[in-house]
Amino acid sequence: MQNRTAPRVLGLLLMAALFYHCSSDTPGKRLPGDSSAAPPNPDFVTITIENMKFSPDSIEVKKGQQVVFVNRDMVNHCITEVHTKAWTSGVIPAGGSWMWVASQTSDYYCAIHAVMKGKIIVR
Amino acid sequence: MKKLFLSFLGTAGLLAFSIPNASAQKLTDPEIAHVAVTANKIDIDYAEIAQKRSRNQDVEKFAKTMASDHKAVIDQAVALVTKLKVTPKDNGVSQKLMTDADKTKKMLESKSGAAFDKAYIDNEVAYHKAVIAAVENLLIAQAQNAELKSLLQKVDPTLKAHLAHAEMIQSNLNGHAK
Repeated sequence: MQNRTAPRVLGLLLMAALFYHCSSDTPGKRLPGDSSAAPPNPDFVTITIENMKFSPDSIEVKKGQQVVFVNRDMVNHCITEVHTKAWTSGVIPAGGSWMWVASQTSDYYCAIHAVMKGKIIVR
Repeated sequence: MKKLFLSFLGTAGLLAFSIPNASAQKLTDPEIAHVAVTANKIDIDYAEIAQKRSRNQDVEKFAKTMASDHKAVIDQAVALVTKLKVTPKDNGVSQKLMTDADKTKKMLESKSGAAFDKAYIDNEVAYHKAVIAAVENLLIAQAQNAELKSLLQKVDPTLKAHLAHAEMIQSNLNGHAK
């Protein structure tokens, strides 16, 4: 009896572990920009704000692709389209992030620190 | 030891900062923390004056950014010294910064309109140059604790962005808009 039950219990434990791994690894629950161990997600690209710079400061994306800005600085930032102010993030606090769905090629800057600039090219 | 000073003189000799450099001072970590907090508080004081006296949108916005960013740096510094159980210690460099700042605040409070905007932004350019030099050559160079050194290294690019921003506004105020 014991010999037949042990493999069943072990199997259930393995299934539970596998289920937990899959549900906790759902892309939507992962912090955008967290590249640790995660496979590249083609649905979004990440622009890191660190040391008062956008990295990368120029990027090419597909129309409709999600562009996620991750603020790793200790100060607030604000991403705003340069020429017509067509879109803006509002304040992105230190440690925060913001997502923009790429709709048009845009030059952007930080409206708080006007010397910080970047470009998104939409194909 | 021969005393060398980094001096930045503004227009008409009104703006003066002198921060002893690495060859003239030896600071402990509690003293470095005190200098860092003092330097940030001074720029917040300048920003508060600018927010009251300026009517120039770019200058007001810049001052608001300075107040917010330097407060964020102070918050980080306070969090770190609290974690490290270090009490910031007053010292000659902090005292010199405060003495110079008192003179500069009086000068700024005596001005208004375009003259104030120019004086404030000229001061911001000179002050950030002086503080960047002090952070790089004095504070980072002498900090012993790795986390304190790392925080100062993290602050450096922020100060450089502030300097570039101030220089951009300075150029615009001088009629050299790009």
